[in-house]
Amino acid sequence: MSTALEPEPGRLIFTNDELLANGDYAEPLIANEVRCHGGFTEDGGYRSPRTLHRTPAIDAWQKQLADDGHELIDIASSLVPPQHPNVPQAKLLLQHGVREPIVRALTIISIVEGFGAMIRDVRVPKLDALFVEDLAGTALAHLRLGLFEAHARDESGYRDEGGHKQMWEAARDEALENPKIPDDVLMRIMGRRQKREKTGPIFPEIDPKLERMLAFMSQVMVVEIFARGTFEWGIDLLSDPEISASPKSAGDMVRFIQQDETPHVEYLRAALSEARARTIRTVDGKEIAGKIVVDEFLHRTLNGMTQNRQQEQREDLRENLIEAMKVASNPKALLEEFDSLDQAWEAPAGTGFTATRSPVAA
Amino acid sequence: MQLGTRIQRTIKVGWASAVIWSSYKVPMWARQLTGRPPRTDAEINALHEVTAKRILALALDMRGVMIKMCQALATRSDVFPPEFIEHLKQCHDAVPPKPFEAVRAMVESELGKPMDALFSEFDETPLASASLAQVHRARLLDGREVAVKVQYPDIEDIIHTDLANMRRVCRIYEFFDPQPLELLPLLTELTTHLRYELDFVREGEFGEKVRALFAQDEQVKIPESYGSISSKRVLIMELVTGIKITDKAQIEAAGLDPHDVVQDLMYVYVRMILAAGFFQADPHPGNLFVTEDGKIVVLDFGLSKELPDGFGLGLFELMFSLMTFNETAMLRAFNELGFRSKTGDNTSFLLIARRMVSRSSSGSFEGEFTEDMTNELFDAIREDPIAEVPSDFVLVARVFALLSGIAHTLGSRANVLAAMSGA
Repeated sequence: MSTALEPEPGRLIFTNDELLANGDYAEPLIANEVRCHGGFTEDGGYRSPRTLHRTPAIDAWQKQLADDGHELIDIASSLVPPQHPNVPQAKLLLQHGVREPIVRALTIISIVEGFGAMIRDVRVPKLDALFVEDLAGTALAHLRLGLFEAHARDESGYRDEGGHKQMWEAARDEALENPKIPDDVLMRIMGRRQKREKTGPIFPEIDPKLERMLAFMSQVMVVEIFARGTFEWGIDLLSDPEISASPKSAGDMVRFIQQDETPHVEYLRAALSEARARTIRTVDGKEIAGKIVVDEFLHRTLNGMTQNRQQEQREDLRENLIEAMKVASNPKALLEEFDSLDQAWEAPAGTGFTATRSPVAA
Repeated sequence: MQLGTRIQRTIKVGWASAVIWSSYKVPMWARQLTGRPPRTDAEINALHEVTAKRILALALDMRGVMIKMCQALATRSDVFPPEFIEHLKQCHDAVPPKPFEAVRAMVESELGKPMDALFSEFDETPLASASLAQVHRARLLDGREVAVKVQYPDIEDIIHTDLANMRRVCRIYEFFDPQPLELLPLLTELTTHLRYELDFVREGEFGEKVRALFAQDEQVKIPESYGSISSKRVLIMELVTGIKITDKAQIEAAGLDPHDVVQDLMYVYVRMILAAGFFQADPHPGNLFVTEDGKIVVLDFGLSKELPDGFGLGLFELMFSLMTFNETAMLRAFNELGFRSKTGDNTSFLLIARRMVSRSSSGSFEGEFTEDMTNELFDAIREDPIAEVPSDFVLVARVFALLSGIAHTLGSRANVLAAMSGA
């Protein structure tokens, strides 16, 4: 018999409370004097929050998908652009006292992680009525039963437990010794408002809430997968004793975040793969393959991010890099060295997903 | 201003203040002397109602600073009871215009030329009239259509006299009342705001500062201020027209989605307040339009505000901690924003925050300061004698509550955090 404290491999149906349940911790995680989620087991290993049932549940849903002969969505690692500035460039800046761009980048990462809480506001329509096939015992059936809420709490924290926002802040403050936060952080996050295109729905034949939900989940999953590069960057940089005041604890903090993110990617992969393997009922009583819908959104998201992300990161940084470099003894030489450490990267031609309604072909 | 007028205004203010003060205090003393129980809440509320009407009537009679003071009081729900707020907010749109000849005289003396040497057309009927000025449509000699904001003659003198009167009355009130409302700081704040609002050069410059902030935003339109042909009392601006922001039917008829309009409006204010640290602090529907192609237009930078360094980030952290129910972070954010407890017991702020959040429709803070929540927040602050609240926070909360009202009129929500995240 299963209880909240006894995960049962292979089980497919869970309650909200179970998917939010923690395992036992021998010690809490304290980050820069802030109590954070997760904690340490008896053997000193880090245990992510809310994974007591969530991790085996996701494994079971993914296994069921494979047993039924369906593939799990896979995003090619070649699509992930490198972080800019890369680790050698970031290290060069810090070694020359140019801290502001790195502090800004780390602060923006922490705030953007915190905005992950908004996934709890996603409107989930009555999915049973919108898919032809049964949804019992799937990740899709558990989005509102703990999966979105657990994701939101992991990112932004919950009550007096900090989440990834506070953990990134702690990593930044420990490694760089409580740096001054640049005044323009919120301005950079907000960006500019481009002219609104009157596009309308991409699949007018399906329930608009379902379209919005699947589009949003595709975006979040791609962002989470691309964030792996950011985690590697954060770990390499903040655990480097040449530039970090607390290489062990700052680096570990980013590793813990990285570990916590695994269930986010995996439940989204499971749920989108389930939708892809099913048939969607249209508003006029016909049917459309879920694969057509999900692949369209994945293609659009990947196409946008692989084509634009690297360039946007460069433009963001470049905007005030020259100004920030004025604190260095020889800004011109520093800029030349910075540019020489750059890595060339070209976006692959395709995304691996077939788009049928995109203006840009797959 | 003539001495007789000055004396007359002083007597009116003094008399009204004495009547109001006595209406609260005399019955209270009478009950104490005769051993009768104190007035009930209903009786007190009825008295607030009568008093608010009396103040409104006085303001409409005297105009000038009295109107402005009522407008300012109507924004301070943290200090004054709801009856005052309800009546005094009528001062926003209850001001009759001045005759055109007075306008002409002001324009010509300020700009140093006859009207027809400046404009090829000048509409004698104003587009709008407010407490300090009125606005006319006109055309420059080069063909540009402009809006001309003209300050009322003598308004500076009137304000000077009225402020001096108000300060005297406040001092007398604070001398006699053992537990006075802290009115003098409010009056000082009002004096500062009025000084800004009477300076159209400052207003024009502030408008240009906001225009520069949105120069690259394709969804925002801030009218250009023509500083080189304006003066301290006459401001000439680009004329921009559009659909009133609360006119949902017109917005939809133009093929625009009201939800998109709210998102863009929130983007404008969140960018000003949280990201840039300066903002137009008067987002009532008369100052906000949408163009036919969906751009948000913000007018009137008379009531504008610069926020202290770090205020935006502090406010963001407060909202974030409210959203995650993180009370430790909440207390830190309250402290960073300048909230102070007179006793050192900060738990008051948590109680205030809990009361505010309890008025949200979902029972949790999702990023929107609704009018209900803001009113509850101000009620809680007013009832808690130990909390000191920074006036910047009060102003910003009022702005977000006004935006929430506009958003609800358009069937949407004014979510600050969503506007920031781009969601």
